[in-house]
Amino acid sequence: MDQLPNDDEIECLLNIDDGINDDEKKIKNKLWQEGSNDRRDGVGVSSDMDVPIDSDMIIEEEQSILEAQTSSAVEELKLAVAFQGKGAVQRQVNALSELRRLLSRSEFPPVEIALRSGAIPLLAQSLSFGSQDEQLLEAAWCLTNIAAGKPEETRALLPALPLLIAHIGEKSSLPVAEQCAWALGNVAGEGEELRHILISQGALLPLAKMMLPNKGSTVRTAAWALSNLIKGPDPKAATELIKIDGVVDAILRHMRKSDDELATEIAWVVVYLSALSTIATSVLVKTDLLQLLIERLASSNSLQLLIPVLRSLGNLIAGDAYTTNAVLVVGHEITDNIIRALSKCLKSEHRVLKKEAAWVLSNIAAGSVAHKQLIYTSEASPLLLQLLSTSPFDIKKEVAYVVGNLCVAPAEGSGRSSLISDHLVSFVRSGCLRGFIDLVRSADIEAARLGLQFMELVLRGMPNGEGQQLVEKEDGIDAMERFQFHENEDLRNMANQLVDKYFGEDYGLDH
Amino acid sequence: MMMVDNHLQTQTQLQSEFQYWLPVLRRFGPDDPFFASGNIERELLAKQVALDLTEEEKQQLRNLEDEHREVFCPIVGCVARLRSLAEFEDHYNARHTACCSVCSRVYPTSRLLSIHVSEAHDSFFQAKAARGYPMYECLVEGCGVKLKSYKSRHQHLMDKHNFPSSFEFFKKSRPSKKERVKKTQRKKQQHATEDGEGSSAMQVEEETLDGLVSALSKLTPSDSSPSAISFGRRHTRGLAFVPRVVHRETKK
Repeated sequence: MDQLPNDDEIECLLNIDDGINDDEKKIKNKLWQEGSNDRRDGVGVSSDMDVPIDSDMIIEEEQSILEAQTSSAVEELKLAVAFQGKGAVQRQVNALSELRRLLSRSEFPPVEIALRSGAIPLLAQSLSFGSQDEQLLEAAWCLTNIAAGKPEETRALLPALPLLIAHIGEKSSLPVAEQCAWALGNVAGEGEELRHILISQGALLPLAKMMLPNKGSTVRTAAWALSNLIKGPDPKAATELIKIDGVVDAILRHMRKSDDELATEIAWVVVYLSALSTIATSVLVKTDLLQLLIERLASSNSLQLLIPVLRSLGNLIAGDAYTTNAVLVVGHEITDNIIRALSKCLKSEHRVLKKEAAWVLSNIAAGSVAHKQLIYTSEASPLLLQLLSTSPFDIKKEVAYVVGNLCVAPAEGSGRSSLISDHLVSFVRSGCLRGFIDLVRSADIEAARLGLQFMELVLRGMPNGEGQQLVEKEDGIDAMERFQFHENEDLRNMANQLVDKYFGEDYGLDH
Repeated sequence: MMMVDNHLQTQTQLQSEFQYWLPVLRRFGPDDPFFASGNIERELLAKQVALDLTEEEKQQLRNLEDEHREVFCPIVGCVARLRSLAEFEDHYNARHTACCSVCSRVYPTSRLLSIHVSEAHDSFFQAKAARGYPMYECLVEGCGVKLKSYKSRHQHLMDKHNFPSSFEFFKKSRPSKKERVKKTQRKKQQHATEDGEGSSAMQVEEETLDGLVSALSKLTPSDSSPSAISFGRRHTRGLAFVPRVVHRETKK
């Protein structure tokens, strides 16, 4: 991973001789010498500096100064913790505060040194019950930043976890609870094993409760930490969470009323609930949540928010047929709204939105014939066709799923599904075949299969041999023949079957 | 979905039946690669500019907006005038960052951004590269050399342009962690010539090294954006911005 700059690197950095460096040095010197000054008219310079100005080129010397400062800060903390006399509390708070400052420098926080100097047991001690808020806050902050480091650094927090969990109880002051939740969020974000430990230590319930109030940064931090805690892959936490009193109500409330930032974190909670827990999904789809998500999707322009909202919708639709069958009923306004909102995403410039919106549409298009007709006649159709021919591969593949699903009726028992001729003919005549043949030519097995399957629909379903002509014109025969000796047996067979059936000895006799 | 098709059974070889198109619900687990690019977006949170303001400063800011004062963009070389925080953020995002719309990594130049987008997010790029076409451009502008793999490009950078072996153009992101940073130090001002590409090869290299080695390798936006931007009235304390750093990679 990251290295301290080696000698060569430093050499390179220092050897760069041009105006930029000089400017930086000038600024740095000015600020050092003069404290605060105007860089130019109208702009004040903040003089409220906690730490001296860094050079952005970390010189080894500075780093080792930082490390030395850190180990002495930990030393002082050790003495402060042991100290029993007058002013003990203040001394401890000061020591913690100093360590926190050193760990809050954005360049290279000296986490490893802090750990090696023995910070963790001291920080854990500083979290003991009955301690003053300021002390708890500083200690939790130190732990937060240590936990934001490398995996082994996060794991070093183990001894402190039960204490952190304890301080997110309802008796704690909000800033303390929030800082502890933040630290726990970092720990949970590290990996499955730590999540499991936190859950077994009882972190879920108090964290969930922190999400219930109407507003405040604490609610947002708690939601974020919670999303890290339940993200699995073990679905147990997600299933537990949905059962906690007040959680569903809070989710709905926040999704309805809160600002974008909180809504974003809540949406991520919903993403994991819906992706991991079928129970949670079935509970959520019976509430107003879909409606609220669709409204957010339609009205927001914040990518941060749109992604989890879109994905939540996708998960809820993919996870339970009830959603498409009973909630997104054709003819109801909610269904028109979702198609419109998804179309908005298809038009977006963001790849993630386009891709995942197509995925969601593909699942709605896997529903009833009425659903397929609705999508087919909506503004989504021309967008899909355009994306199929021009978009990057990953989006193209998802769009292919939509188009194909729109052309095939729901399966009834065994036997191949029947075609929806109107849709197929119209799409093909609008030029969609090329995009599918691109997929056949791609390196992706799944995409190639998709392409071949659609070609079969075209060859079967277009009237008067039009399918064969079109496939030939688009070099489809060539694309299929590439699979003749392909290593994948399925693709080989499919391609060969199509060629044999539709381009066999009889083909060309009418030409 | 293997179905018997009598037509085909007249073939001499017994083939499996054609797998016809079947509309089905497709579901993905939360860690499925399908969701990867969206996850990266979340985990980086690169565009979140968190304000570290006291009540007094917030009030100052409100007054600032009320009185229609203008301040200059604090980026060296930028002459934009801005009337509010929101305007500053918009201007800043539009003019001083080259941010990948897929994964939110920030680059010091548009050229490097576009190289990144091709290499990291474009499947056609991957396909061509897999077929052996030299697709990996040398990062130093003006060099023009293209290599067949990420590694050989890395080697070229070291051999021809004296890059350190530890330099990594593309680093993987880390799982969702957030560090709390509260400081008002002024960091390096990004060399922000608005017509940036007029820089010399040396400058690009320096930006590449500085910006990328320290900024990219830690996947923070901070080194291509000032982390403390003073924004306030003449001669007064002013306000400080701190980007909300998400990932920390401790340099060891």
